[in-house]
Amino acid sequence: MLQNLCQKMFRRSLWVYHANSGGCNGCDIEVLNVLTPYYDVERFGIKLVASPRHADVMLCQGPAMRSTAQALRRAYEAMPSPKLVFAVGSCAGGGGLWYDTYSVLGPVETVIPVHYYIPGCPPRPEAILYGVALALGLVDKQVAATRIGHAAFPVPRYHPEDLRPEGGLAIYQRQEKI
Amino acid sequence: MKPSEILTPIKQRYGTAIQRIDRLDDRRLVLHVDAGALKSICRFLFRDLDARYIAGIGADDRPYSGRFMVAHNFAFDRDGLLASVLAMLPADAPEVDSIAGEVPAASWSEREFHDLVGIVPRNHPNPKRLVLPDGWPDRVHPLRKERPWNDRPDGYDEDRPFAFDPAPPGCVVVPLGPFHPTLDEPAHFRLYVDGEIVRGCEYRGFMVHRGIEKLAESVLTYNDIPMAAERICGICGCVHNVAYAQAVEQAASIPVPPRAEYIRTIMLEIERLHSHLLWVGLAGHILGYDTLFMHCFRIREPVMWIAEKISGNRKTYALCLIGGVRWDITPELHDELDQVLNRLEAQWRPLVSALLEDRNLRRRAAGIGVADRALIKEQGLIGPVARAAGIDIDCRRDHPYAAYDRVDFDVILAQDPDVWGRISVRAREVFESIRIIRQCLVKLPAGLLQAPIADELPIGRIGMSSVEAPRGESHHWLITGENHRPRRWRVRAPTYQNLQGIPAMIRDQRLADMTITLGSIDPCFSCTDRLETVDVRTGAVRVCPPEELRDRLRQRWNEPTTP
Repeated sequence: MLQNLCQKMFRRSLWVYHANSGGCNGCDIEVLNVLTPYYDVERFGIKLVASPRHADVMLCQGPAMRSTAQALRRAYEAMPSPKLVFAVGSCAGGGGLWYDTYSVLGPVETVIPVHYYIPGCPPRPEAILYGVALALGLVDKQVAATRIGHAAFPVPRYHPEDLRPEGGLAIYQRQEKI
Repeated sequence: MKPSEILTPIKQRYGTAIQRIDRLDDRRLVLHVDAGALKSICRFLFRDLDARYIAGIGADDRPYSGRFMVAHNFAFDRDGLLASVLAMLPADAPEVDSIAGEVPAASWSEREFHDLVGIVPRNHPNPKRLVLPDGWPDRVHPLRKERPWNDRPDGYDEDRPFAFDPAPPGCVVVPLGPFHPTLDEPAHFRLYVDGEIVRGCEYRGFMVHRGIEKLAESVLTYNDIPMAAERICGICGCVHNVAYAQAVEQAASIPVPPRAEYIRTIMLEIERLHSHLLWVGLAGHILGYDTLFMHCFRIREPVMWIAEKISGNRKTYALCLIGGVRWDITPELHDELDQVLNRLEAQWRPLVSALLEDRNLRRRAAGIGVADRALIKEQGLIGPVARAAGIDIDCRRDHPYAAYDRVDFDVILAQDPDVWGRISVRAREVFESIRIIRQCLVKLPAGLLQAPIADELPIGRIGMSSVEAPRGESHHWLITGENHRPRRWRVRAPTYQNLQGIPAMIRDQRLADMTITLGSIDPCFSCTDRLETVDVRTGAVRVCPPEELRDRLRQRWNEPTTP
């Protein structure tokens, strides 16, 4: 439904405004990377603009912070309708590691409406391209059943229960479960 | 000079005021001093012994010693020594004399511990809020142990404006940020502009303060923190990751296997390669030289790919655990990394020679954003900003860590303390990084990736670690604690010091030079804030009405041109 609407509303060049409301820069540089020769987003007519007043799409990075919530809201309001908001990265999509700390409000959806989520920490440039292209109907959604390989590289946690004594020393061991 | 030689004059002068001296090892010193003598001792270290100021730390130590703690860290770069001057403050009156008058570089650190811990720096020259959001209630200090990490204090007022200083007479306020075209990250500058010339500025940043230090003290455990530390900054994440791990290892005396040290060195240098290439490109972009931007990113991309092959991610390497590393350099990766370096060098060399010969670029970048030696000393500026002014400091050589003491490299210097010098230094440092990685690949010893770790890490030990990030020294200071997490962990990112030099660097410059001056320190607000926008016209900004602007323009038009 939204995709059909997007195809109708944003048929031509998209102008993108990118707002970092409190992220670590990782997503920023991947968005920058999308502009550069290897990925070259301009072939899809997508262009980065400096002012929200020129933009069709806002790419949000970083969690919604107490200190930037107001500015983010104003930037969103400054965009002309119709407008789309993408949450790029784990922080914008779900608040990230610090979703509940004292200076963070949570994911950006707590402040402004979000239409699409591009996960990753940070998302690869291909993922950002794919996410935007998917929203615009430039590519078809392809879904394959995958199992997340989280358990393949578990981080051993430093905790006495996990430390197995061995000649007076306890050693890190990979845990089966986290 | 050994620690003992530095101690002799301090002991002679302040015999009774020094309660205890801990030598953590040959290169780390902790002086426990009386709070009354703190200011005088810091002054002595900074002025008479010519130490470089690193960072100030405030900690709530009430659950353990019943008191508050304040520490100021100094580096003796020529002697390879890091010193922490530590004083305890009574729980009922956490006040200490401000050292910012004597040591200007300490200004932000003191404002920070005032905000976060509630330790009052007496007679601070500019005692304003620094870190917390504007609406945060005054009497709530999030790093105090009784406050939870997910604090939602009563009395939070989103509409409370920040009390900016009044603009100097005759100046117009130009707000820049939080969301603005040149920088990706939010930060707000209020520029006071007289015609075309910037007369001063006030910074209101710390919009990316995400509360990482609080999370580390209350939620995460030792091995979770490297992952959080890496997300302090998306560009120099691995630096924080390694610096944290090293600080814990130093506090707990954990020897790291040599192979792990070499792998850390390789990953740090891969990160420096990508960061330098990124920054030179961005500097070109800010100056309107987009060809350079595109070339830099083209050359940089294979570095990202090889990082992904080694660690599984382009940016966040998840490299360190306490006592070692998680990723190995396999023989296949070894060869591939070698090829990437060869190609990178072959492509970067002609670009650098074109760049450094470019007269247009040179005329645009030379003479702007000048940070002279006096400013560098006073504000504790570091990294390429200092090296461009000919100050020979580099943590990799001065305070060696990982495998840097076993590789051979030059510290790149320039004699132009301006934006041009910084471009030149960073462009040429790429070759040194390539050299270091090649040597590491040759010398890479076989062995363990992880050190076996003794049962529990000792409690109450202090760890200090400085790592040379692409943009300067990153300093981590921590005290180990109970429940498998540090009691206090303080991160001082390079931008934290470099940004303090910005008001002096842009004073009396043209407005159009502001962005590249700011860009030239490679500001990384997320590092600085660790805890960050778009439109700046919030608060009581006097927006110049169009008629006034027109009048001013006309007035300027009619002024006789100065020869």
